Amino acid sequence: MTRHGRKPEETTLSVWQVIELARHQDRPYSLDYIRRLAPDFIELHGDRLSGDDPALVGGIGTWHGRTTVFLGHQKGRSLKERVARNWGMMHPEGYRKAIRLAHHAAKFRFPIVSLIDTPGAYPGAGAEERGIAAAIAAAIMEWFRIPVPIVAAVIGEGGSGGALGMGVADRVIMLENSIYSVASPEAAASIVWRDNARKVEAAEQLQLTSRDLLAMGVVEEVVTEPKGSAHVDHDAVATALDEALHRHMQSLLTQPTEDLLQHRYERFRYIDSLVHAEPQFGPKV
Amino acid sequence: MSALAKTAVELRIAGSKLPAIPLPTNCPGCGVALEIEALRKHNYVCDCGHHFRLGADAWIALIADRGSWQERWGDIRSHDLLNWKVPKPYQEVVEQLLEDGLNEAVRTGTCTLAGRPIWLAAFDFRFVGGTLSIVAGERLARGMEQASSSGIPYVLVSASGGARMQEGVLALMQLAKVNAALGRMHAAGVPYFSVLTDPTFGGTAASLALLGDINIAEPGAAIGFTGPRVIKQATYADLPPGFQSAEFQLAHGQVDLVLPRTELRRLLAHLLEMYP
Ligand SMILES: [Zn+2]
Repeated sequence: MTRHGRKPEETTLSVWQVIELARHQDRPYSLDYIRRLAPDFIELHGDRLSGDDPALVGGIGTWHGRTTVFLGHQKGRSLKERVARNWGMMHPEGYRKAIRLAHHAAKFRFPIVSLIDTPGAYPGAGAEERGIAAAIAAAIMEWFRIPVPIVAAVIGEGGSGGALGMGVADRVIMLENSIYSVASPEAAASIVWRDNARKVEAAEQLQLTSRDLLAMGVVEEVVTEPKGSAHVDHDAVATALDEALHRHMQSLLTQPTEDLLQHRYERFRYIDSLVHAEPQFGPKV
Repeated sequence: MSALAKTAVELRIAGSKLPAIPLPTNCPGCGVALEIEALRKHNYVCDCGHHFRLGADAWIALIADRGSWQERWGDIRSHDLLNWKVPKPYQEVVEQLLEDGLNEAVRTGTCTLAGRPIWLAAFDFRFVGGTLSIVAGERLARGMEQASSSGIPYVLVSASGGARMQEGVLALMQLAKVNAALGRMHAAGVPYFSVLTDPTFGGTAASLALLGDINIAEPGAAIGFTGPRVIKQATYADLPPGFQSAEFQLAHGQVDLVLPRTELRRLLAHLLEMYP
């Protein structure tokens, strides 16, 4: 397997090994980062309609001297925690909470940091009954109208529409061993072969690693992880993420709102250019 | 629909005759042997209420006034960006479908409906499951951008499995691209009528299909985010009969109307009068 633009030492991990790192149970989760970035973080709860989604944490914290709204998918480490956090899979209430907090940020001109780490939105009957599709759709549309800077980072798994519902931002960056995909490898295998056991083949075809996404122009930057991946040194990866998020945020804070929203529109509109792109321009499997 | 039928304008201009579609010998709804020509005149709706799936060509014929359809951006084509080889090379799949006379999972253009100009976009489930691709997203977004500047109402007919797997995360990004354009269209005050047909799922449901000013679903259409097979696999849930049907979505507040296809043209014409 050869991949464009990849240094030799980076080819030592297979795509599936990267996925295992992205899903590693000791990998830092959103709150591990948020508490390091903003030690005074105050979690805020509820969508003001019907509930609070524990798969998404949101709140305010002082970050580089400025009150900032933090949002992040939250997974759990122990079985009990995982169940309580629903494995980071959001229900409609989560997207509605996120947009409620985005409006809060807009009112007070607070910038927004969004951390993405989800296998996808919750694939359950209750989510369907309460309008998960419309909740994601409305969130995706609304992010384009939020008049404050938004920087998003994929810190683990970026799965499908459930991730994109939190991923419309002025800049999107990824940690080195995180993934971002149209569908989880298991779901893709189930669609392509009707057999989710062929997830490894599907993963290699999907082109979902951070380097793939950078090559496709879907993310602006890949943040290098400590040797041995993020789970071996939470402090080091948090410092690296903090530096990158802050650098991107700094350049956005000075932009007039009108320019900010126009650039956000164009950032996602650019894919226009792919209509006429050379065939197979992406990394080769 | 009787109240509306009384007040609706007389339609002076008719849609076109619908194209022939492959049909089973008996209706899956009632089991009765199908009379093809009678069914065709009835917009492919059986007397029992079963709605047969239509392709984009049939939707255009059904909605557009005869001779008014002007297709836009029909020449932009999908191609394999990710070197997708399984189970069949994506490039071959696309080329075969083009040879079969299908032109992408979304076709878009302008036409009139009862004499009033509209933008019309129709998904085609026969093209890779009506999946949202870069080209599909592009046609949708460009039409919405033009509708935003001209103020002409936008009508969507969806039938889609979601984002197109073979275009990877680039297909996922179409949800954002399309919804960005949709947000501008809403801000510009352009009426947007969304017709949801069987099936509308995944990224298409989670982007433009459920964000109409008025959402109209066909009776019995399956509409949702996650398909029932995946829900059962993931949660071992027993799904009740009618789960994710148009009627279910009406009861759960996601659509405004469940309307037979035979009434659709009349309703849209009436709406265009009410949202000038
Ligand atoms: Zn029948």
